[in-house]
Amino acid sequence: MLSKYYSSLGAIFVIIFIFVTLPFVYNNQSFLFNMMMYLALAEGLNIIYGFTGYLPFGYVGFFGAGAYGASIVIMFLRISPFLAVLAGGIAAVIIGIILFPLLRLSGAYFAIANLAASQALYYLVANPNLQKITQGPYGIDLSSVYNANASYYLMLGVLVFSMLLVLYMRKTDFGLSLLAIKEDRVTAALAGINIVKTRSIAWMLSAFVAGLCGAVFAWFTAVFYPSTVFNLNVSVFTIVFVLFGGMGTIVGPLLGTLILYSMYNFIGISTPEYFQLFYGLLIMILVLFLPNGVVSILQHWRIDVP
Amino acid sequence: MSHSEDVLLRVDGLVKKFGELKALNGFSITVGKGKIVGLAGPNGSGKTTVINVISGIYKPDVGSIEFDGKSIYRLPSHKIVHRGINRTFQVPKPLAGLTVLQNISIAAIYGSQAGNKTETVKEALEIVGLEDAKDTLAANLTLAQQKLLGLARALATKPKMLLVDEIAAGLSSQELQWIADMLIHIHKSGISMIVVEHLMGFIDSLTSDVVVMNAGANLFRGSIEDASRNEEVIEVFLGR
Repeated sequence: MLSKYYSSLGAIFVIIFIFVTLPFVYNNQSFLFNMMMYLALAEGLNIIYGFTGYLPFGYVGFFGAGAYGASIVIMFLRISPFLAVLAGGIAAVIIGIILFPLLRLSGAYFAIANLAASQALYYLVANPNLQKITQGPYGIDLSSVYNANASYYLMLGVLVFSMLLVLYMRKTDFGLSLLAIKEDRVTAALAGINIVKTRSIAWMLSAFVAGLCGAVFAWFTAVFYPSTVFNLNVSVFTIVFVLFGGMGTIVGPLLGTLILYSMYNFIGISTPEYFQLFYGLLIMILVLFLPNGVVSILQHWRIDVP
Repeated sequence: MSHSEDVLLRVDGLVKKFGELKALNGFSITVGKGKIVGLAGPNGSGKTTVINVISGIYKPDVGSIEFDGKSIYRLPSHKIVHRGINRTFQVPKPLAGLTVLQNISIAAIYGSQAGNKTETVKEALEIVGLEDAKDTLAANLTLAQQKLLGLARALATKPKMLLVDEIAAGLSSQELQWIADMLIHIHKSGISMIVVEHLMGFIDSLTSDVVVMNAGANLFRGSIEDASRNEEVIEVFLGR
């Protein structure tokens, strides 16, 4: 009965093993943290993009909402950062609910409207008039609660949670109903699926994961600015990682992030101009020749990818 | 038909506008429990719009739709499906990236309230004869098979009424006969139908009760035989 979960659970255990043992042999904790963060973001984006086809270019908006939600709660309520991270996730879900009307749009219109919404949120948070709440453009300082190790392992927890969510969607009727909506909304409705409700749940789950990521990032980084957590690169990186790996699977976004984010750290930081050239070419090649990502090569060889 | 409890579907004075165009202009139809009604009319007369409005794909502007004694006017599609109406499409709309089995299963899981889902799926597969193709991706089916899949998907939601929209289009005469037999078999299990069709011969093999429409409104209701002698019907079909 459990056997259909074995390969997916195996992938999750490999990820846990890597990020628990690697700090003992590789001391760049910041790189490992960011890697986990992008892995979790990629799985979170996978929930909405891989299963419903909505491409949220403003995905960073949820990340920023999570970072600020958690930070504000820590500063004003002085609660445990663990609880604050949950509050960050909830803040992102609330933004998601406010953005429900965007789900009526489709394709590029949705992507652009979502991008605009994330930028609107950025300017709202960075507004000097809101300095009493958000510190406006002057940024957040959480150094009083800073704890690199605790936030590192909490990020691992968020990553495992995001992978379990995708596993759940891969194996249940709920995930199948989302795939049906992605294939054809009219046919899905005539199969009796409540489209508005189903896609709203996926949207909120996806926002929740990004919010948790932003919240843990805030705790791990401790000092940051609106431009840090509303940086559009967060959306772009996550989307490219998911596209490269292959959406709709658990392993695809993991592979995409592991390969491309490592590469970014080796050539992107030393020679950024070549890196941008490389990413640009890569996106073109992917869209033209490999729209379903690296995992589609494996699937072509009839390897079952969890 | 005179007793209201014998009426399964009662559509009255339906208006559907697309901008300035009135695709439906006061269309009415009643279908009795366990009956098949043919719906005919020239191209652009609004036949498919009727099906789209009843199945909730389009929201009507004016009118009333009652099914099984309760209004389903302007309900979303999935709720109409739960009340017991389903349909097929002239151009099949399969969930292309999913297998035949997944296509039908999802309709059984989300579309029908009661019954053993596995049994429902098996039955639907058997009726349309797609058992051997159950693990094929819907995208890889032939046109005729995709039509059968659409029919199986509809049946898996356990409908009381099936709206069949130009299922004959693009099929060979052999496939036509086969599908007609299949619809008769489905009807015998107690499912009422509206059968939209261009080909009078196809309707004739299913029912003698036909509604002819033109320009979004009713033109004629009666037997096919009478329709073929009716001046107005002849005029709209032959364009004199």
